[in-house]
Amino acid sequence: MEKNYILFPNYSQGLKLESLLKANKIKYVISPTPRKLSSCCGISIMYNKEDEESIKALIEENSIEIKGLYTLE
Amino acid sequence: MGDYRDMWKNLGMDLEKHDVLCEALPQAFGDIYLSQENRPDAMNYFNYALAEVHGARIQEIQEEKNNGKKVIGTFCVFVPDEVILAAGAVGVGLCSGSQFWIADGEKVLPRNLCPLVKAFVGAKVSRTCPYFQSCDMIVGETTCDGKKKAYEIMEEYVPVHIMELPQMKREKNYEEWQDEIKLFIKKMEELTGNKITVERLRETIDLCNRKRRALKRLYDLRKNIPSPISGLDALLVSQIAFMDDIERFIEKTNELCDELEDRVKTPNANGMKRIMITGTPMAVPNWKLHSIIEGLGAEVVVEETCTGTRYFENEVSSEGDTIDDLVRNLADRYMNINCACFTPNRGRIDDILRYAEEYDVDGVIYYNLSFCHTYAIEYGKVEKALKEKNIPLLNIETDYSEEDAGQIKTRVEAFLEMI
Repeated sequence: MEKNYILFPNYSQGLKLESLLKANKIKYVISPTPRKLSSCCGISIMYNKEDEESIKALIEENSIEIKGLYTLE
Repeated sequence: MGDYRDMWKNLGMDLEKHDVLCEALPQAFGDIYLSQENRPDAMNYFNYALAEVHGARIQEIQEEKNNGKKVIGTFCVFVPDEVILAAGAVGVGLCSGSQFWIADGEKVLPRNLCPLVKAFVGAKVSRTCPYFQSCDMIVGETTCDGKKKAYEIMEEYVPVHIMELPQMKREKNYEEWQDEIKLFIKKMEELTGNKITVERLRETIDLCNRKRRALKRLYDLRKNIPSPISGLDALLVSQIAFMDDIERFIEKTNELCDELEDRVKTPNANGMKRIMITGTPMAVPNWKLHSIIEGLGAEVVVEETCTGTRYFENEVSSEGDTIDDLVRNLADRYMNINCACFTPNRGRIDDILRYAEEYDVDGVIYYNLSFCHTYAIEYGKVEKALKEKNIPLLNIETDYSEEDAGQIKTRVEAFLEMI
């Protein structure tokens, strides 16, 4: 099953986005960053594909720093 | 995520080796935890705490150190956190739950020793645990022979203070434990340069009681049928409790309990068998037995272990006007923990029988880490007591390796069918 991840340069950016997702009632799961995406430890956020556009808008509007959005098969 | 390599390097860690440990975690956590269905949303905090266990939390601890605080590592629920906190230090319960550390432990210890002891020594010797590397002092205790002697090896790497835990529960033993707590207070005052005052100690007694209450609230919710949270998730919360910032942990655990309280208002009967685990501790990332049991469609509803009820049951009274009064209260609470290192240890059997009723369990699984003699011997007494009450019991003796996972699965499956 396809899984979608947002990676961050540091955890505080991740937590910032988390509180926005929570406030906007968008489903997400905090996950350890898969090794396939990065060899750095720490959190990333898993999300549902159908929410991608609204999440991108939140990232933009609130100047959240991210490393990128990724999909793993 | 984040790049913590500079921080780890400054802590004197073996980066290459540590990377092997880091590599395994996301996959294991994903397979065991994130694959569960219908998890509470509030578990996201604990996912965060686990994913950042060697990252953000270590960064916080380093900041505390830069502000002049000392970091104290402990290995046992008998060491009073209240004293560490009252001296203005940070306490961390060191985990040692991974097979990863066993090989390094076996370089300096006999192989026929419990995996917990081998892992904690291995973690230090291999310089792959950032908590260990952050510690200004380790507080050991004399709960078992393995740990007691392992601290002599530990001393070659980091300053160690040992508390002599009595092994009987007579009046004189309670007094002996009070004396040990007083020696520990003196040691902490010397190390930190901070005086432990009555006011300060009373504050930290209250703080630790609030933490116990949050965990108790979580466990009480598991008494519902069905439990609103999986055993795996509850275990993770308990494991995180040992290393997290206390105020934040209390807040997040209570948020989780708020969500669970909503859940139990509309119970969905699932017909799952309810299992109690009793025995030896399960430190991060030891999720082996829970994942086997819950993978077979049963639910673990209570753990009578040091990473379960023994950690939070009973509060410390904050009544009294002197340090002596408060130390007596501390000794009274801690000496009431029913560890198999005591003889006799009838209290543990009473606890197990009480939990069996309170949590309405269908069966009990006795979890014994290999070579943990005190718990292995005590099995007989527990078996007899449960038999008298017609409560089914299964004995599992195992270590951290995955070699016997298939065999355990078969035995648990047969047990679940039988009950």
